[in-house]
Amino acid sequence: MTSVDDSPELPPLPRDRMADFKEGVVPYLFVVPGLLLVFGILGYAVVGGAILSLNETDMFLNKTFVGLKNYRDVFSDPRFINALWRTLLFVVVSIALGIGMSMIFALTLYRVTRGKRFFRGLSLVPYFVSGVATAVMFRFIFTTSGGFANSVLSALGLPTPSWLGDPALAFMVAVLANCWFMVPFATLILLGGLQTIDREIYDSASIDGASDFAVFRRITLPLIKPMMGVSLIWVTYISFSTFDIILALTAGGPQRATELLSIYMFETAFLELNFGAGSVLMMVLLAFNTALSVLYLKVFVMGDHRRKLEK
Amino acid sequence: MTGPSSKKSGAGRSRTGPVRDWSGRFGRAALIGIPLAVLVVWTLTPIVWAVLASLKEPLEIYESNALLPANPTLAAYRKVLAMDGFGRWLFNSALVTVVATFVPLTISVLAAYGFARYAFRFRHVLLLLYLVPRIIPRVSLIVPLNSLMSDLGLINTYWVLFITYSASAIPLATWILVGFFASVPKEIEEAATIDGANMWNRLRRVMIPIAWPGVVTAGVLCVREAWNEFAFVLALVNESTMRTLPYQLYVLKDAMGVQDYAVYNAFTVLTILPLLLVYLLLERRVVDSIVSGSVK
Repeated sequence: MTSVDDSPELPPLPRDRMADFKEGVVPYLFVVPGLLLVFGILGYAVVGGAILSLNETDMFLNKTFVGLKNYRDVFSDPRFINALWRTLLFVVVSIALGIGMSMIFALTLYRVTRGKRFFRGLSLVPYFVSGVATAVMFRFIFTTSGGFANSVLSALGLPTPSWLGDPALAFMVAVLANCWFMVPFATLILLGGLQTIDREIYDSASIDGASDFAVFRRITLPLIKPMMGVSLIWVTYISFSTFDIILALTAGGPQRATELLSIYMFETAFLELNFGAGSVLMMVLLAFNTALSVLYLKVFVMGDHRRKLEK
Repeated sequence: MTGPSSKKSGAGRSRTGPVRDWSGRFGRAALIGIPLAVLVVWTLTPIVWAVLASLKEPLEIYESNALLPANPTLAAYRKVLAMDGFGRWLFNSALVTVVATFVPLTISVLAAYGFARYAFRFRHVLLLLYLVPRIIPRVSLIVPLNSLMSDLGLINTYWVLFITYSASAIPLATWILVGFFASVPKEIEEAATIDGANMWNRLRRVMIPIAWPGVVTAGVLCVREAWNEFAFVLALVNESTMRTLPYQLYVLKDAMGVQDYAVYNAFTVLTILPLLLVYLLLERRVVDSIVSGSVK
C-alpha cells in the first residue's frame, strides 16, 4: 500500500502476510500518537465543556444536571447581551482597520525596492510579542500622565484625554492593540499573494492606460482573492478570541466597554466560580468559530489540502 | 522603469520629459515612503517606548513629558533581576517552551511524514481531524480544562502545561510539515531506498534535511506559542512559583503598590527579548515560509 513500493512495472514479489500487515499499520503508527494527544486534550475539553454547560457546580465542584437552565440564564443576562454586541463591534472594527492596514502595508512592502528583506522582517516583529506584553506596552503608550500619546499631544498643545478611562476611547485603544498584534501576519500573507502576480499583467494594464485604482480593483484584488480570504479569516479569528490583550489592557472596563465574550467567560468561570455559565459562553465562542471555520474549510482549505497531498 | 514602477501615478506613466519623469519619481517615492514610514513607526513605537521608559528613573514619567530619559539607568533591570522568583519564572518559561517545542515537533514530523508519504484509509479524514483543533480558540477551552485537570490532580504541575501546550501546538506544526514533506520529490527517497536506507534513515537523513526550512518554521512557531502562552497557564496554575513570565507580567500591576513604571517596562522588555532574539536568528526562514503561504 505504500507509495514507495508501488511500482506496477515490476512483477509482484511474493509477500508474507506479516509484511503486508506491517506496511498497512506503519502510517497509522506515524499519525495516531499526535491525534491521541490532540483529541485527548482538546477533544475532551470540547465534550467536557458541553457537558459542563448542562450542569450546575457547587463550591465543592459537585455537579447537578440542570438541562438548559444555564443557557436560559446566560442568554437573558444583560451583561451577556452587552458582551455579545461589544464582541461583534470589536470584530467588525478590527477587520475593517486590520485588513485595510494589512493591504496598505503589503502593497508598500511589495513596491519597496531597497531594503525589502529588512522591512519585511521588521514588519513581523509584533507577531512575536505576547498578548500580555502587547497590552502592557499599549497601556504605557496611552497612560494619562506620562504616556507616549499624551506626551506628544501636550507638546503640541492639544488636550490630553484619559484614554483608558473613557469607554469609547478605551475601546479604540483595545482595537489598536489588537491590530498591532494581528496585522503583521495578515500583511505577509497578502504580500505572498501579491508576489504571485505576474508583473507583465501590470505592464500591459498601464500601457492600456488603466489608472492605479482601476488596476488595483480589477487586477490585483481578484488575483489575490484566496490570500485575502486567508488573512480575513485570520483577522476574524484572532479578533473573535482576543483574550490576553484585553484582560491585561483594560480587564473589560471601563464600564464594561471592552468586556468581550472571552473576558466575560473568564470572569464568570474563574472569578464568580460559575462553571456552568462559563461553559455556556465557551459553547457560544465555539459556535461562532465553528461557523467561521466551516466557511474557511469550504472556501480555502479543502482545495489546498487536496493539492498538498496530491503533489 | 519596469515591473511595479509602471503601476504608479499618472504623471510618471507617460515617460515623456525629464520634468514629468522627475515628478513621477518623486510621487512614487512619496507613495512608498510615507506608508513605509507609517509601517516602521507603527511597528516600533510600542517597543521603543517600553525600552525608553525602562531606562528612566522611577518617578521621571510622572514629572516630565520628555520622550528620552534624562539620566538613562539600568536600575530597573537590576530590580527585575533581583525580584524574588524572577529566576524561577524565567526557568518555568524556558522549560515549558523547550518541552512544548520538541514534543510537538517530534510528533508532528512523524505524523506529517505519514500523511505525506503513505496512502492509507481515512488519510483525508485524519488530516482534517488534525486541522480542526486549529480553529478552536484556546481561550474557549480553559473552563473545561481547569475542571478536567483538577479532577486529575494536575493543577499547578509542569505536566499540565507540557500536555496542554504540546497538544495545542501539534495541529499547526503538522500542517506546515505536511506541505514541506509532500514537496520533497519521491524520487529522492526512492533512490535512498535502493541504496539500502531504511525508513528511519530516509526520514532522518533525506526528508528532514531537505524539508529543514519547514522544520525550522514549525519549531519557531512552537517556541512562539509556548513562550507567549497565557490563557492555559492562567487557568491551570495558581501558585506563584509555577507562573511563567507572561503570567507574572500580568499580575505585576497588582503586586506593586505604587507603580514603578520603569520596572514594569523593564520586565516587559525582558519577557519579549528572548523570543525576539530567536526570531532575529531565524527571521529569513520564517518570513519566507509565511510569504510563500506554507503557514496558514
